[in-house]
Amino acid sequence: MSDSASRIVVSDLSIRYGEVTAVNGVSFEVGRGEHVTLLGPSGCGKTTTLRAIAGLEQPAIGTISIDGEVMYDAIERRNVPTEHRGVSMVFQSYAVWPHMTVLGNVAYGLRVRKLASSELSAKVERALDLVQMRHLADRPASKLSGGQQQRVALARAIAFSPTVVLFDEPLSNLDAKLRAEMRLELRELQRQLGITSVYVTHDQEEALAISDRVIVMNVGVIEQIGTPEQIYNRPRNRFVADFVGSANLIRGRVGKPLANGGTIEFMADGGHVLRATAPHALRGGETEVAVRTAYIEIGKTADANQLPGTVRRRMFHGDFVQYVIDCPLGQLIVRRPPTNLVAEGEDIELSFSPEHCILLEG
Amino acid sequence: MRFTTTAAAALLLIALPSWCQAQGKLCDNPRPMQGFKTCADVDKAEAEGAFTLYSTDPEAGQVKLLAAFNKAFPKIKTSYVRLQAGALYAKVLSERQAKSYLVDVIQLSDMGMILDFQKRGGFRQYVSPEMAAFKPEYKSQPEGYWTWGSIIMGGIAYNPNNVSAAEAPKTWQDLLDPKWTDAVNVKVSNSGLQHGVYYMLKPILGDDYFKKFAAIKPRAFDSYVQQYGRLVDGQDKIIMGAQYSGYIEFKAKGAPLAFVFPETGVPAVSETYGIVADGPHPNAAELFMDWFLSPIGQQALSEALLLHSPRADVPAPAGGVALKDMKLLVPADWHEFEKSRPEFAKEWDRIVGARR
Amino acid sequence: MTAPVKGWLRSGNHWQGAITLPVLLVVAFLVLLPVVFLLEESLNTGDPMAFPPQQYGLANYAAMLEEDLQVIVNTVVIAVTATMMAVVIGFTLAWILTRTNVPGRDRLERLMQLPYYMTPLVGALAWAVLASPKSGFFNQVWRWAGGEGDLFNIYSMFGIAWIMALFEGTVAFVMISAAMKSMDPALEESARVIGASKLRTALTVTLPLVMPGVLGATLFVFAEMLGSFAAALVIGIPARVYVITTAIWDSTLSYPPAYGRASAMGLALFVVMFAMLSGYRWMVARGSFATITGKAFRPRTMDMGRLAWPLFAVCALYIVLAVALPLAALLLTSLERFATALLSQAQFTLANYEMALALGPVRTALANSLLLGLGVATVGVLVMALLVWIIYRSEMVGRGAVEYLVMFPQAVPRLVFGLALLWAWLNMPIPIYGTLWLLALAYFTVMLPIGVRTLAGVVLQVDKSLEECARVCGAGWLYQLRTISLPLLKPGVIAAWLLIFMASVRELGVSVFLMGPNAKVIAPSIVGAFASSGIELTAAMALIQTFTVVVALMILFRLTRGMTRELT
Repeated sequence: MSDSASRIVVSDLSIRYGEVTAVNGVSFEVGRGEHVTLLGPSGCGKTTTLRAIAGLEQPAIGTISIDGEVMYDAIERRNVPTEHRGVSMVFQSYAVWPHMTVLGNVAYGLRVRKLASSELSAKVERALDLVQMRHLADRPASKLSGGQQQRVALARAIAFSPTVVLFDEPLSNLDAKLRAEMRLELRELQRQLGITSVYVTHDQEEALAISDRVIVMNVGVIEQIGTPEQIYNRPRNRFVADFVGSANLIRGRVGKPLANGGTIEFMADGGHVLRATAPHALRGGETEVAVRTAYIEIGKTADANQLPGTVRRRMFHGDFVQYVIDCPLGQLIVRRPPTNLVAEGEDIELSFSPEHCILLEG
Repeated sequence: MRFTTTAAAALLLIALPSWCQAQGKLCDNPRPMQGFKTCADVDKAEAEGAFTLYSTDPEAGQVKLLAAFNKAFPKIKTSYVRLQAGALYAKVLSERQAKSYLVDVIQLSDMGMILDFQKRGGFRQYVSPEMAAFKPEYKSQPEGYWTWGSIIMGGIAYNPNNVSAAEAPKTWQDLLDPKWTDAVNVKVSNSGLQHGVYYMLKPILGDDYFKKFAAIKPRAFDSYVQQYGRLVDGQDKIIMGAQYSGYIEFKAKGAPLAFVFPETGVPAVSETYGIVADGPHPNAAELFMDWFLSPIGQQALSEALLLHSPRADVPAPAGGVALKDMKLLVPADWHEFEKSRPEFAKEWDRIVGARR
Repeated sequence: MTAPVKGWLRSGNHWQGAITLPVLLVVAFLVLLPVVFLLEESLNTGDPMAFPPQQYGLANYAAMLEEDLQVIVNTVVIAVTATMMAVVIGFTLAWILTRTNVPGRDRLERLMQLPYYMTPLVGALAWAVLASPKSGFFNQVWRWAGGEGDLFNIYSMFGIAWIMALFEGTVAFVMISAAMKSMDPALEESARVIGASKLRTALTVTLPLVMPGVLGATLFVFAEMLGSFAAALVIGIPARVYVITTAIWDSTLSYPPAYGRASAMGLALFVVMFAMLSGYRWMVARGSFATITGKAFRPRTMDMGRLAWPLFAVCALYIVLAVALPLAALLLTSLERFATALLSQAQFTLANYEMALALGPVRTALANSLLLGLGVATVGVLVMALLVWIIYRSEMVGRGAVEYLVMFPQAVPRLVFGLALLWAWLNMPIPIYGTLWLLALAYFTVMLPIGVRTLAGVVLQVDKSLEECARVCGAGWLYQLRTISLPLLKPGVIAAWLLIFMASVRELGVSVFLMGPNAKVIAPSIVGAFASSGIELTAAMALIQTFTVVVALMILFRLTRGMTRELT
């Protein structure tokens, strides 16, 4: 094992299926013990990238190293087969083998490694304990519920103490409540075991909740890499703003810079002037700002963008209330806590701070 | 190319032995056996322990014949292949082409093929002490290549339950009556006897006889068993070229049948036997020929297949008319007969509807 | 799992290459060699007995149009009639058994397999006994009851088509019911909710939805019918109705043999059948993958109320016509001295069985057939499983070509393939002509399509990630094959094994040419008996064959019961 700071280094990765380029020049690193999520809509190349790390897809261009060892190099024609890469993976379909018991499934990776039986059963028990499935060890895997299969798949993936675990949308087949529970457990497990993981999902909530860092992908390229907070608060472009969380996109053009902190003037279409934040150096050609629906307040706030509006629709969601508001910028969506409800038709003041009004790259 | 060398080798094989055909000689000291004499080395034959016959006779009869031989020589296991003459000959030729030798003795009911096979050097000469009892026209010149094992003849058969004696055809010409449309069966063009019937009757009855015969739409079958079966159960009324041995067999079983020997005569052909060159059990083959051509072998054949022996000292099968009491129509020139085969096959296929 | 060629080489994963490459070469050799010989022979215009041909030309093809037009017309008419009947029967039965609550559904569905075990040869013999003019049982009873003339005449074009539809059409039922089973019942239910009647629903929703499946089955069955042999042989020749397969049979079994004519007809048939099968494949590839990967639907059926019993009667009628009556007729015939349906005239005897069992060659033929069935099925399934894996799971270059290659033997009529194999192996320096080994190789080659297709169905249903997961867990290719792939494929492997076993035991077309004096098999022996030994003895032989196969299968089921139960 090398001492490099990163467990996984992916650089310039491109993967083609015939004419179609599924992944196009993707590079990123995953640190030791880090939990990185590849997030994007279906067909964005996130699963393909993950499978390439596992050795299940052959890239056309690029290199992949794990623990400093080159696993794939297109130029050197090096391709370490899956079983020698030392990674583990949880599949979207769980891929729990129906012809074995729970124990048989979990012990598989250990048997492959020819572990002594005492050590083997200790490790299997530990893994089953971690997913609370020890009482079902002897049950045929074909007789498990979806959630139980998910746990078996997880136990199997971690039983042989891999340093890297890859997750391919492992929660997508569970119902909402179970998914939320499993999310917590996964995060917990990951902390406990100190494993490095790469996680693929199209669920932005899930990605934000369980990741150290999120990589947003679209049509085979990376749109943005950052911590969940960075992705949420500083979306780099329209795609990220739109795909992660919910945001209002306001069109206009950039005015003059206002201060050193990156605050600028933004002339919205319709003449309204907003103060906005530019997280990147201005390049010209930027035409949109994004404001998160949760960051718009009803009522006046000091040192913020202010504008009048009228409540057109109100929808009660339980955890929050969503308003559709007519204002000089057009229609804005605003989400507020379900307290201090405002009635439809009421005239109100909206305010949002310049640091939540993010200038997007053009 | 592999194929060309194979072909060249095959050509050589065909050509060489025919140059070497020579007057056969009987061995000095034929060994007397139970009821026959042999020049074969019996110990070697028994050591070979097996014997294979390719023949056109129905399986049940072949099994009986071979069982009789096996009874005399229990150490020699027998096996056979049964196909119609054409098919059988094609199979043997393919095998020889590929130098795959599985057969010891072959029986064909078509002299044309026999002569062709002799020309190709397919037979091995072996003069059996028993051959002396066969007329010269019943065996190859020089002797020892092939010998007639039996004589078969074809007449007309009908079922008296379905066709009254008055109504029944008496002559070959009577068969052309349109009332027999869809009611007559014959053998397929592969049959040696059917070839004989066509070959002998056509010059006598005129060129258009078979054209008219086609108009009554005869159906063709592989063996006389099917032909007589259909007569017995009423599906057909008449057999044209009915094999006489089949009539004797079915009659003996109690089937309602009548056989007509038309005045013109009954076409007759032979079932001819010979030892195949390079067979796997040469001594057993010689021993079989000696046994088969002797009165006991011929008697066994007569009992198993109800066929007429060419030997004068073997009686006609039980319940059958003797050869001397029939007017047999036998082809005079077998080489001519052989040459007519492709034309016959095509014409017969048309007559029975297998081709347009 | 998708490890590419260069991947294996670099990583030292030699097993994959070492095993797959020889298998591919052997299969390509087995399949292509006979086809090459066939092509060469069809262009032979010289001496038919000369190898290689001394003269080449297209005369054989020209002659086909000139001389054999009637044969071609007969073939098409019979195949079309038989296909239509088979598809109508198959659709009706499939609909009743998958979409309605007909009583005894499970049992009926299992009974539907019986015609397959009967085999077309036995079926044709039985129907010859049942419906011959004059002597047929139906007609005997009809006249006994005072009727005039003949009620039925099986010796007709329709008769041939009827037998083909009854005994070779079962595949239509299997294919169409598979299509129906994969259909979401909610689609039908929504039509019912809107107010459509059951019949209207069946015609306007069910039928259009399963249409691709039905069309595919139609193409497939049509191809089968074109190459069908047994019924045309037993029924066609007495009827003076020759089809291409029997014309081929005729021209190869005559002297001088018309090998050129036979090969030309065979190749013509091959082209047509190959087009049909490719069309079928294209339809399957386009249509049914959605249904394979789609979620499993809970089988829900329509309540037919009082109609359920008439529907039951329809199914029962099929079983009676295809199984009960034929078996009864054969049984009666085999016990009589002369076949008759009128018991008052019957002379009962066991002589036919004595004779059949006394025929030493018949006993060895049956034993040989069983031996070949066991051997070919066992070895064949292993090799075919590997082929399926190569075609559907590897990323090997040219695996699409392999898929087509494996389909070849299905498009060549068996009889022609047998002839081609004969030439091919006669000219081979390996001395296996006339032995069971050649038959085994030939069976393996002609069983490739059916075996591969059956196994492919299972492989496609096994999620790829189950195998990938094993690799991620650290298992090498062989270890994964042994512990994951093969166990998961076991039910399919067993099904394929049974199919190949049955198909081998009943094999007629290729066996006819490849049998040697010491390597006989049962089906051609039955045909031989039919030709030269009378219907009573033949019936006894056919029943002995059927009975032996059933007993063999029962023993096998018993032996494998534990294995199959856990997986099905």
